[in-house]
Amino acid sequence: MKDAALPGPTAVESFAQDAREGWLSWVSSVDHKQLGIMYLLGAFVFFLVGGVLALLMRIQLAVPNNHFLSPVMYNQIFTMHGTTMIFLVVVPLLVGMATYMVPLMIGARDMAFPRLNALSFWVQIFGGLMLYFSFATSGINGGAPAVGWFAYAPLTETAYSYGPGVNYWILGLLGIGVGTLTAGINLMATVITMRAPGMHIRRLPLFVWMTLVTAFLIVTVMPILNAGLVMLLADRLLNAHFFRADTGGSAVLWQHVFWAFGHPEVYIMVLPAFGIISEVIPVFSGKPIYGYEVVAASTLAIAFLSMLVWAHHMFAVGLGHAFDIFFALCSMAIAVPTGIKIFNWTATMYQGRVRFTTAMLYAVSFLLMFTIGGLSGIAFAVAPIDWQLTDSYFVVAHFHYVLFGGTAFALFAGVYYWFPKMSGRMLDERWGKIQFWLTFIGFNLTFMIQHVLGMFGMPRRVFTYPPLPGWEAMNMISTVGAFVLAFAVLVLMINIVISLRSGEIAGDNPWDAWTLEWATTSPPPPENFTHVPPVNGRRPLWDLAHPDRTDEMLARAAG
Amino acid sequence: MPDKNKLGVGLFLFSEGWFFATLLIAYAYFHSLPANGPSAANSLNVVHTLIFSICLFASSATIHMAARSFKRGQRAAVSAWLAVTVALGAIFLFGQAREYLGLFAHGVTISTNLFGSTFFTLTGFHGLHVLGGLIALGTLLGVTLDGRLAEVKPSGFESVAMYWHFVDAVWVVIFAVVYLWPLVA
Amino acid sequence: MPGTYSSNAFTLAPASPQAAAISSLFIGTLYFLGAILILVTGLVLYAIVRYRDRPGAPEAKQVFGSMRLEILWTAVPVLSLAVLATFMVRTMIISDPPSAGARPDVRLIAHQWWWEIIYLKSGATAANEIHIPAGKRLLFDFRSADVIHDFWVPALGRKIDVVPGHPNRLWIEADKPGTYLGACAEFCGNEHAWMRIMVIADSPEQFAAWIKQQAAPPAQPVTAEEKLGAKIFRDRICTNCHLRGVGPDLTHLATRRTLAAGAADNTPQNLAAWLHDPNTFKPDSNMPDFKLSDDEVRALVAYLETQK
Ligand code: HEA
Ligand code: HEA
Ligand code: HEC
Ligand code: CUA
Ligand SMILES: [Cu+2]
Repeated sequence: MKDAALPGPTAVESFAQDAREGWLSWVSSVDHKQLGIMYLLGAFVFFLVGGVLALLMRIQLAVPNNHFLSPVMYNQIFTMHGTTMIFLVVVPLLVGMATYMVPLMIGARDMAFPRLNALSFWVQIFGGLMLYFSFATSGINGGAPAVGWFAYAPLTETAYSYGPGVNYWILGLLGIGVGTLTAGINLMATVITMRAPGMHIRRLPLFVWMTLVTAFLIVTVMPILNAGLVMLLADRLLNAHFFRADTGGSAVLWQHVFWAFGHPEVYIMVLPAFGIISEVIPVFSGKPIYGYEVVAASTLAIAFLSMLVWAHHMFAVGLGHAFDIFFALCSMAIAVPTGIKIFNWTATMYQGRVRFTTAMLYAVSFLLMFTIGGLSGIAFAVAPIDWQLTDSYFVVAHFHYVLFGGTAFALFAGVYYWFPKMSGRMLDERWGKIQFWLTFIGFNLTFMIQHVLGMFGMPRRVFTYPPLPGWEAMNMISTVGAFVLAFAVLVLMINIVISLRSGEIAGDNPWDAWTLEWATTSPPPPENFTHVPPVNGRRPLWDLAHPDRTDEMLARAAG
Repeated sequence: MPDKNKLGVGLFLFSEGWFFATLLIAYAYFHSLPANGPSAANSLNVVHTLIFSICLFASSATIHMAARSFKRGQRAAVSAWLAVTVALGAIFLFGQAREYLGLFAHGVTISTNLFGSTFFTLTGFHGLHVLGGLIALGTLLGVTLDGRLAEVKPSGFESVAMYWHFVDAVWVVIFAVVYLWPLVA
Repeated sequence: MPGTYSSNAFTLAPASPQAAAISSLFIGTLYFLGAILILVTGLVLYAIVRYRDRPGAPEAKQVFGSMRLEILWTAVPVLSLAVLATFMVRTMIISDPPSAGARPDVRLIAHQWWWEIIYLKSGATAANEIHIPAGKRLLFDFRSADVIHDFWVPALGRKIDVVPGHPNRLWIEADKPGTYLGACAEFCGNEHAWMRIMVIADSPEQFAAWIKQQAAPPAQPVTAEEKLGAKIFRDRICTNCHLRGVGPDLTHLATRRTLAAGAADNTPQNLAAWLHDPNTFKPDSNMPDFKLSDDEVRALVAYLETQK
């Protein structure tokens, strides 16, 4: 493929020229590549904000009986941290990655609905701003919502949260919800209707496949959240009674509605990450993904099961043993399709030639970090263990392992992998490795110890705590880790800035990868492809480079 | 490959289905609990609503006829069927408004009790969807009356028709749950 | 501030049969999960070391999968999880025994941000510090006065949400006399952090004596200062809240170890500080700041210290 590439500088020059010419394009663009980058940048800004909020929490928790933050302030901060990270960071990052990559990977020129794409982005940003506007509401009961990211009623009812914060939370989430929903519809329609000739559904790159399944989950569960939000808003603004236990409403109903959305949401946050891993590991092992069909099918199994496990967040509510057992069994069952993925990724590396690029380092540590998070999830799925550990720091440890050690590590892998395609320049590998090790150490320092903290009885969402045995030291370690992590984020920012200016020119296909996005220039031209290479298998560029050993021939030889 | 516009609308409606399903479950849950005060059984008039509902159900047939005429390129028939559809939809909304005003007059509002909360939220959102559909249908009607039917893409026309069938189908379920259930129990 | 803690809240140091059942299930599960983690880590490390790219390394082998392996790593997890599930169901029954038909002994009403305790048989009431007789199980009935709270004392077993409109029941017991710490574990607003719980398991005799004391009528003030305090207590409408379940019952305040659900040790100095301004220990709680004068505080403290 190398010879077909445009000479590197031209690509970079044209990129720079576009950037100079097109300030207006940042608001008016409907190009999926530009919107994808806007998603990524917007989400990264929110990540910095959410991260700074996390640092504030960790400072407050560094020592017992601390007065750095008032309780009300702390409660607002953890609510905003959680809401931001989930709705304004992880989901938009994954949607942004898909918005940029999916059309390229299936050989399309754009998304199915380019203008809807822009709308989704802006509605989502608007929702985020709406949410943050709550900080600006003043007065005794002003300020951001202080109810936790799952906003359990009746704490969210006007009787207990009279300030407008919760209203902003609801409206912000409705905005974000609509934006995400339309993005999901768009991604699904794109994958279903825009594929290049030969790109059968069974030849989709796994990132595309998992995006498709994710988009399906989004379309299915986002409206459930929206319905819940609408009911809550009716309670708060129109004096309705849905979740007000004192007038016959049901506090438990909110939990059902929220988690019927909320649990699938956590797989929305991890399936695209699985997709990234399924691209990165094969490329840097020099081998096709092991068990493509099984990895793809297990995604469907996860998506299906994810809708049957929501009440594992409600084991402590006291809904009866039979009820708990059903949801416990379904939750445990998810370990099976997820494990299948882990084992197939590992098997992909066997007999390969593993190149330790930064992207691959992140992908490999994803395998381990996500497994830790998944296994602590299984501990929770065993209901009696959850009865002890729910709402303790063990939960905080669990979900940071799956979300940070899982999704964020996969996103880092994806950024190092695709940055050359998006910018035309390589992300510096030396800085990259420094960032990797800082992240790896900082992350484990921050969150590993929180498992123990939870086992020692520390509840989550406390603005301060008494100096019970071990709590002081463990919290201090966690705080130190958080600062190491913050430093790692700074290194990433430095790396991106340096590499954008003076990074090595990437060329079309710096990694010897096989999917269609590498068949065009870096960055791709507005129309994406001058011509789309023939797609006769799952690795079109492999087939082009090895006409004597195409995937089809290899498969036939293997029998 | 399926038409992308129809697919997009189909996915949107699929998601709307979950939205209504959630509101319906909330309604059904509270309906199944014992409660005092206004309820579906003592506040709603099934017969009146049935009459207006039949208009809505019928409008599904008329939009179907409109779509068929559209495919055959019979411009006048398209306008006529669209006009009938809009009229039937408007009658339904009128019926709903009447029902609401009657309930308000008896002091039944969204804040009265759980029946009020669930009933008005559920049927209110349905009503908003009917209104949205009427606006889309009205636009189509305007375009056809203007003689610019040729500019309307078939998939666009079919999308509106799909939406209208959906609104109708949701009402079938709502009508069964909200109005017929108390009769059985 | 509460200074030192002799007792901890460790989930793996059970002090009741219910907690012991969970603890052993937990330890077993940790071994099981640990083994999986070691296996996965081992496989991954082996792969990346053995097959790392280096000069002279063999070319990557283009293989696509193996049905036999897929079946293996589907079946083994299914079977091992099935085993885990049977242990789970057994533990559920031991750690949360059925309570149908039994009459509750204690009603626990959770308030933003304190616990009201009613001993249903004797009628005695208390707050935040729950006494139980060691070695005897009591059935607790959980109610919420406002939002969702959660009762969690790790050494004694499972936690249970305290949900408005959804009463819950749980058997609570402790093998030996001792103090067991816990906390409200569901976020419930401003002072969720200082909604701690102390369960004190007494010997049966101590417990009987304690119950008798708590059920006794309030002690009468004797000295002039105490009498003044009692008058302020009535005039300053403290009773509006503190006799009606809006705030904790103070009739036996002096027998408690901590103030304001664990926010401070119950000493006269801390009590005075609390009355001067409740926000010192527990900002934004529902106890108002009355801007009492030093004299008023002194009298109130003198009076409240008699409330044994
Ligand atoms: C990316 C997000 C993500 C992912 C992927 C997961 C994955 C899982 N989660 Fe997690 N979870 C969250 C995000 C996520 N979770 C969040 C955000 C919360 C907290 C919300 C809040 O309260 O704020 C939460 C909370 C949460 C709870 C409730 C805890 C509580 O509050 O009481 C439970 C309970 O069952 C649970 C279970 C699981 C399970 C069983 C999995 C499984 O999918 C894991 C499967 C993976 C593996 C098991 C590892 C790999 C498998 C193998 C190597 C095979 C062999 C393994 C076995 C045989 C066991 N999670
Ligand atoms: C993907 C999701 C995600 C991510 C990435 C994180 C990242 C982090 N989280 Fe987050 N967390 C959640 C999701 C996430 N969290 C959720 C859902 C909750 C539950 C909320 C709830 O209970 O409702 C939670 C709750 C939560 C708690 C528990 C709070 C409590 O219960 O009281 C804690 C405590 O330690 C914590 C810590 C951290 C830390 C230290 C990081 C770090 O990894 C952050 C690292 C990033 C940075 C440090 C930013 C770097 C910034 C700079 C370098 C400054 C540069 C600045 C400028 C240029 C302006 N988180
Ligand atoms: C508006 C209601 C209200 C009034 C009036 C009120 N209190 Fe309180 N009080 C509370 C509440 C609520 C708490 C529990 C605070 C917490 O722990 O979160 C409390 C706690 C206390 C405590 C600590 C009790 C314990 O068990 O730890 C003391 C002592 C106290 N109040 C004394 C007083 C005195 C003295 C007055 C009158 C000068 C008074 N209160 C008036 C509501 C009130
Ligand atoms: Cu009560 Cu938290
Ligand atoms: Cu879950």
